[in-house]
Amino acid sequence: MQNNPPIISLKNVHKYFGDFHALRNINLDVEEGQKIVVCGPSGSGKSTMIRCVNGLEQHDEGTIMVNGHTMSSDEKIGNLIRQEVGMVFQSFNLFPHMKVLDNLTMAQRMVRQKTKAEARDTGMKLLERVGIAAQADKFPSQLSGGQQQRVAIARALCMNPKVMLFDEPTSALDPEMISEVLDVMTELARDGMTMICVTHEMGFARSVADRIVFMDQGEIVETGEPETFFANPAHARTRAFLDQIISH
Amino acid sequence: MQEVMNWSDEFLAGTFVIIKLFFISLVMVITWGLLGATAKLSNSRIARGIANGFTVLCRGTPEFLLLLIVYFGSAVTLTSIARAINPEIRFLDIPPFWAGAFAISLVIGAYATETFRGAFLGIDKGYIEAAKALGMTRFQVFWKLRVPMMWRLALPGFGNHLLSLLKDTALVSVIGVEGILFTAQQASSVNHKPFTMYLTVAFIFLALSTVIVVTMKCVEKYAYRHLEAAR
Ligand SMILES: Nc1ncnc2c1ncn2[C@@H]1O[C@H](COP(=O)(O)OP(=O)(O)O)[C@@H](O)[C@H]1O
Ligand SMILES: [Mg+2]
Repeated sequence: MQNNPPIISLKNVHKYFGDFHALRNINLDVEEGQKIVVCGPSGSGKSTMIRCVNGLEQHDEGTIMVNGHTMSSDEKIGNLIRQEVGMVFQSFNLFPHMKVLDNLTMAQRMVRQKTKAEARDTGMKLLERVGIAAQADKFPSQLSGGQQQRVAIARALCMNPKVMLFDEPTSALDPEMISEVLDVMTELARDGMTMICVTHEMGFARSVADRIVFMDQGEIVETGEPETFFANPAHARTRAFLDQIISH
Repeated sequence: MQEVMNWSDEFLAGTFVIIKLFFISLVMVITWGLLGATAKLSNSRIARGIANGFTVLCRGTPEFLLLLIVYFGSAVTLTSIARAINPEIRFLDIPPFWAGAFAISLVIGAYATETFRGAFLGIDKGYIEAAKALGMTRFQVFWKLRVPMMWRLALPGFGNHLLSLLKDTALVSVIGVEGILFTAQQASSVNHKPFTMYLTVAFIFLALSTVIVVTMKCVEKYAYRHLEAAR
């Protein structure tokens, strides 16, 4: 095995919202092909951390490297990074006035300069992959939550990203729709995608994650492989958190 | 009725003049509205200051007065510049039609600025972030997402602006634009039937505003078809 530089690297990253210290000295390396699950209590900074990775939030101190670029406040560099990093949000955020297939083609045409036919081709392939090709001509509001989230994943994949970020992709879903989204994510992981997933789906974490990152109060408290993380958490805070989500 | 028929050609021509005035002003209204709203929401203090000045001035002055100021103000300025070059020139003005279109567009554009600003603010930030996360530039996000989402939110308010715009086209007869009101004034000075003549004008305006109302209904139906579909 050659030792490639990590595709994502956060070094001594701090982030403030005004006086509030939202991220405290975050250090995290992600190698190509790795799957990281991030968990932790609400407000612990999970979203803020992954949003710093694609520059939706600007970090204040430290360095973030993605795919060889150093993140900065320069919009050009931010865009360069975002073109290679897909993101899936808790609230889907499909463009409501555009049909499903148009949701998938817009950025391909704008960012990748694809022709309409190429973009639709890629879009249909991805819709098939997530199992909703039949809904291509509908509006997002006509789809169930689970279907909408799968469209959102397909939309991100259309850009052929090197990394995928997921921010609680199943938290807004009715329970019966969670697995259809997790199945798509699991398959994506099997295909070798580099992923950072913020999720509390511990079954998914156990079967897919190479490493689990536990955050609390803006810090990474503990990082470990799934077996050790669940069986032998090193910190009391981790144990308390796991007890809480497992008892629910 | 015969009195109206005697002037039908003039009324028809006048109707075309105000329709033309309406559409040319409309293009300007949308331009001022977009520029104004963007400026008001920008980080630049100077841009915000200019946009605030624009809306305070143009919403706070009677339309009629603004029209006179734009027309005579530009004429005075142009004449003095022209006379500096060639002292023979007596009077030079912007064509009244264009001065009128411009003046009306300032007023309605100021109202559109506020409507557009509110609509821009009403866009859920999540959609903008999703587009950004796909690698779209700020410029692309603005034209491909913010504007299409904004105009849908602005539609109900904007329909009212269109009606105001139409009615304001009546004002320009005062600077000599030959719209229908101008026709009615001329006609009644000849046939001494001001009531009939002005009633005709009222009917034409009513017909045109009905067209606007119906058109806006259709546009709204198209714009919100994604919401209808969900039912
Ligand atoms: N834009 C913001 N302005 C101010 N505070 C924020 C902002 N975004 C997040 N925060 C705060 O930062 C902390 C971490 O938020 P977040 O990263 O969303 O947590 P998590 O995703 O782990 O629930 C929270 O206390 C939250 O209130
Ligand atoms: Mg969060």
